[in-house]
Amino acid sequence: MAAQSQAEPAASGGPTPAPAVRKAVVIGGNRIPFARSGGKYTYSSNQDMLTAALDGLVARFGLQGERIGEVAGGAVLKHSRDFNLTREAVLGSALSPETPAYDVQQACATGLETVVSLANKIKLGQLESAVAGGVDSASDAPIAVSEGLRRALLDLSRAKTAKQKLAAVAKIRPKDLSPNAPSTGEPRTGLSMGEHQALTTAQWKITREAQDELALASHRNMAAAYDRGFFDDLVTPYRGLSRDANLRPDTTMEKLGKLKPAFGRSLGDEATMTAGNSTPLTDGASVVLLGSEDYAREHDLPMLANIVDAEAGAVDFVHGKDGLLMAPAFAVPRLLARNGLTLDDFDFFEIHEAFAGTVLSTLAAWEDDEFCRTRLGLEGPLGTVDRSKLNVNGSSLAAGHPFAATGGRIVASLAKMLHEKGSGRGLISICAAGGQGLVAVLEAR
Amino acid sequence: MNDAYLNLVNTGITKEIAKKLGLPRPSILRRFDPAKPLVPGPVLVLGKGEAADALSQLLLGWDQDVRRHATPKEKLGAILVVLDTAAAPGDLGEATLAAGAALRDLAPGGRVVTVSRPAAEAQEPEAAAARQGVDGLLRSIAHELRGGATANGIVLANGVQATAPGAAAALRFLLSGKSAYVSGQFITVGSDAGTLPANWNTPLAGKVAVVTGAARGIGAAIARILHRDGATVIVVDVPAAGEQLARVANEISGTALQVDITRGDAADRILAHAAERYGHLDIVIHNAGITRDKLLANMDESRWQSVIAVNIASQLTMNRTLLASDTFSPEGRIVSLASTSGIAGNRGQTNYAASKGGVIGMVRATAPLLAPRGGSINAVAPGFIETDMTAAIPALTRQVARRLSSLQQGGLPVDVAETISFLASDAAAGVNGQVVRVCGQNMVGA
Amino acid sequence: MTDTQLNEIPALGKLYVGALGSAAKARLSAAQAPQTLPAARHRVTGARVELERLADFQRLVQHSASDYLPSGFVHTFAFPVAMSLMSRDDFPLPLLGMVHLRNSVEHFRPIHYAEPLDVTAWAENLAGHRAGTQVELIAEVSAGGAVVWRGRSTYLAKGVFLPRFDRSDARGPRPDFVPPPPTALWRLGADAGRNYAVVSGDFNPIHLSRLSAKALGMKRSLAHGMYLASRVVADIVQNRQEPYEWSIDFDSPVFLPAAVSLSISDTEGDDGYSGSTFVGWNQRSRRRHFAGAVKALPA
Repeated sequence: MAAQSQAEPAASGGPTPAPAVRKAVVIGGNRIPFARSGGKYTYSSNQDMLTAALDGLVARFGLQGERIGEVAGGAVLKHSRDFNLTREAVLGSALSPETPAYDVQQACATGLETVVSLANKIKLGQLESAVAGGVDSASDAPIAVSEGLRRALLDLSRAKTAKQKLAAVAKIRPKDLSPNAPSTGEPRTGLSMGEHQALTTAQWKITREAQDELALASHRNMAAAYDRGFFDDLVTPYRGLSRDANLRPDTTMEKLGKLKPAFGRSLGDEATMTAGNSTPLTDGASVVLLGSEDYAREHDLPMLANIVDAEAGAVDFVHGKDGLLMAPAFAVPRLLARNGLTLDDFDFFEIHEAFAGTVLSTLAAWEDDEFCRTRLGLEGPLGTVDRSKLNVNGSSLAAGHPFAATGGRIVASLAKMLHEKGSGRGLISICAAGGQGLVAVLEAR
Repeated sequence: MNDAYLNLVNTGITKEIAKKLGLPRPSILRRFDPAKPLVPGPVLVLGKGEAADALSQLLLGWDQDVRRHATPKEKLGAILVVLDTAAAPGDLGEATLAAGAALRDLAPGGRVVTVSRPAAEAQEPEAAAARQGVDGLLRSIAHELRGGATANGIVLANGVQATAPGAAAALRFLLSGKSAYVSGQFITVGSDAGTLPANWNTPLAGKVAVVTGAARGIGAAIARILHRDGATVIVVDVPAAGEQLARVANEISGTALQVDITRGDAADRILAHAAERYGHLDIVIHNAGITRDKLLANMDESRWQSVIAVNIASQLTMNRTLLASDTFSPEGRIVSLASTSGIAGNRGQTNYAASKGGVIGMVRATAPLLAPRGGSINAVAPGFIETDMTAAIPALTRQVARRLSSLQQGGLPVDVAETISFLASDAAAGVNGQVVRVCGQNMVGA
Repeated sequence: MTDTQLNEIPALGKLYVGALGSAAKARLSAAQAPQTLPAARHRVTGARVELERLADFQRLVQHSASDYLPSGFVHTFAFPVAMSLMSRDDFPLPLLGMVHLRNSVEHFRPIHYAEPLDVTAWAENLAGHRAGTQVELIAEVSAGGAVVWRGRSTYLAKGVFLPRFDRSDARGPRPDFVPPPPTALWRLGADAGRNYAVVSGDFNPIHLSRLSAKALGMKRSLAHGMYLASRVVADIVQNRQEPYEWSIDFDSPVFLPAAVSLSISDTEGDDGYSGSTFVGWNQRSRRRHFAGAVKALPA
């Protein structure tokens, strides 16, 4: 019954990177603008959106008819008919139909996980080129039949005699006919992600004002990035949308301050999380083109950044030992230790804004002496993230968060930022349902 | 974009009705098809002198049937009227009248092409009169032709051989279906510069081209034609048009670059993209343009300024950067979209006409900067072209506008694209600083 | 103590019907009810678990569908034997209308579903309660001759006062309940009672529908106490090995539909996990429904 302690001493932080592997580079990316659920992409399926994102990437990098080594993608809200979602999207795209593909699903870490796993294949020499991606539609979400109907139908399909068939049908009750929409609740707790985060936000005493400030910065940073054309070669319009529909360039602290708490209302006066400092349900897709250095050179393609290393983490949130979205707080120190880095060694921090409270709780944890000693096994606080380096071109609070598409959005944007700067490193941190997290380091080139 | 009238008067019972009623009966134009002959019959070469002989040899080299005298009742694909030696108005008659006698035998979609010298360069008034006379007679022939036939002229600057690359390429262009909607126009070949392509089907092989405003309409057609002719094409449009732009790029195996050309760094971004992906840039097509029509009396500043900014100021800025860049080939070619509105003006289009007139001025002034390095810059001035933009014109006005040309119909985006591809080819290097109208000999601004 | 051997695990439905009959009979005859517990044990030997029923139960309480019996399932399996005891004519309290006050269970080792099980049940500790009379029913489950599971359920016969016990209205001041941060939220539909009735066989009308509950004086149907207990215990012991013991006290009924907030708190000892405490309350009214604990036993 002994629970595995997360507090492995960071100094002996697990495996070390294999020394002799070659580099995996980010060549570029593409996404469609993110739409609010029920908005412009209401009638687009995951496959439609992923295909559109792929086609934009193909157009940007002239990959028409190209046989890419492998394409990996996925979605969080997935129809059973989409068992081969990514391959179907490839077949519908301008890529060579001889391009293989596979699906990945790791909740909100799906997009980043596709990048990491494909980068590893490139590093090992299994692939020369790869496209990583993800897509999600909250508008076109699957609706499941009730458990009773599902079991009756399965029994019916197995029934051989008329009598057996009648018996199976007779099991169906009127209430079985009402469908089940997907729940945003964690399966093991029944609490929504927002409710979970509300508990963590309260635990770390993150104020409403601090959360609203982070949201405001996200909108302003992203609007400014759009205005200076930063996204010109990262985003391809789709269905009449050329910027993220959630973006509110003119929002203010006053406007954000007027919103009523949306999560954690059971906390009473302590409820601080609103629709303004939480991500809305979003539709969208993103893809990233990866390659070996040789591939990029031979194809005269840019090399924006190296995928240096990545680390996954998970927390025991079920009975509240840790916050649902706090896994990156544990994974980052391990990743840093393995690579001999500190928070001071980064020029950009891309911490996914599932909720403003998630980002701020994570930062608070890294600054907390006791947490870092007892839970991270460090000798003191991990350190402080320079806020001027945090989500400098906006993040999910502004762009929205189509779950599996967020990783690709962040990787492509960060790679471009690093390349523009010409040097330095960026840290990506993405929290995910099920108490998971995936973090990665990119370096400029 | 579909000219229903054109289809009506060319098919079935409605064709007969239109004939009886004496309605204008525009023909379906002969457009380029690589599987079809260059011209739909033998070429009658009229005129005396070295040029006429040399051009006959050139045509024979292109596997054409050449006639130096008309054979009665024989259908002709084209009539070449070589008047380069005309020293006085009296010298024009013989060949011109011979051409006239053969006009009835000109096949549908046939071609009349004159070859002459520029009046402005004439030493004597007699020669100048003769040369300028060609201008008038050619344009009149163009008006007279029916059945989708066209008449255009090649003007050879003093010292330029009739078979110089530019002249040969111009002749081939004018004879072919590529010039379907060009009529009543002159192409001036100013020098012997240029090289003929190894393969006439891929005159742009190995070239890297940029087309702005390529997401739709004429721009997309230009991208397709440049690709057909062998170029690798970078398609450019504003970020908001990215979805259609990507589709065009993927159709032609090019690359899409989303950038607003009014940005100061637009040319830098284009050059960086070209340098990184292809190492060089050879052809730039300034196609992006907008209209913000309003009578001048009602014109506001933003309508005026935005049209000027997109249609001409951006091109000036980009050209400055292009000419200073090592990525842009020394023999680089620039083709810019002007408009017949920029020549003749158009009610409600002062801003647009100013910008397009500006393009013509820019082209003429930039040509001498490019000539020494082997480069060139020209403009194409479309008339009424069937696009999304013209589809927005009220129906009746649109019908009238279509019939207001010798060809009695609107042109297609591909017609503009073909002319641009010709001007962007190395063979056409001798054509520099020119404005070629693609207007079906529109009455406006003739 | 006499042992009564039953041929099989009795069907609860029949017991309820019998109970309705005897309740009517008692009212009609106004006969003197027995004042002591019957000195009897009811026993069933070699009872078998139905796999489909086990799977349904596991799914309903969100326990992984393992081959071993969830602790709450063993209760539902053994409970009818205790019920049969309570439905005897010489049982001093009426079966119908009994309120579930408390359960405590010792679960000594994993029980494979294919093992033949012996169930023995008896009653103990008849005692006065401020609201009536309470009694403890013990069910013991053995396999291969050894006790593998023992459950003790405390019931209250509301409003039934036996002369032997003094009426004590000592109702201690109920401490204000301040809910801790929740770790889970259960949204229980109006059908939660019916669904559990199907997998547990406990068709007590107070759980089935608003109408049937109203017939027995409840404003709405309510969730089975053992459903709540089974679900919270399943959550806690999910991946942990027997032996352990657990107990639950029921404070207020969960009227359906309901949103029950839950807080589970695990404690670590020197040897790792040592146990959990839990509490459930109404998300809106913040009234406490139940509280309890799970404790790891030395192997």
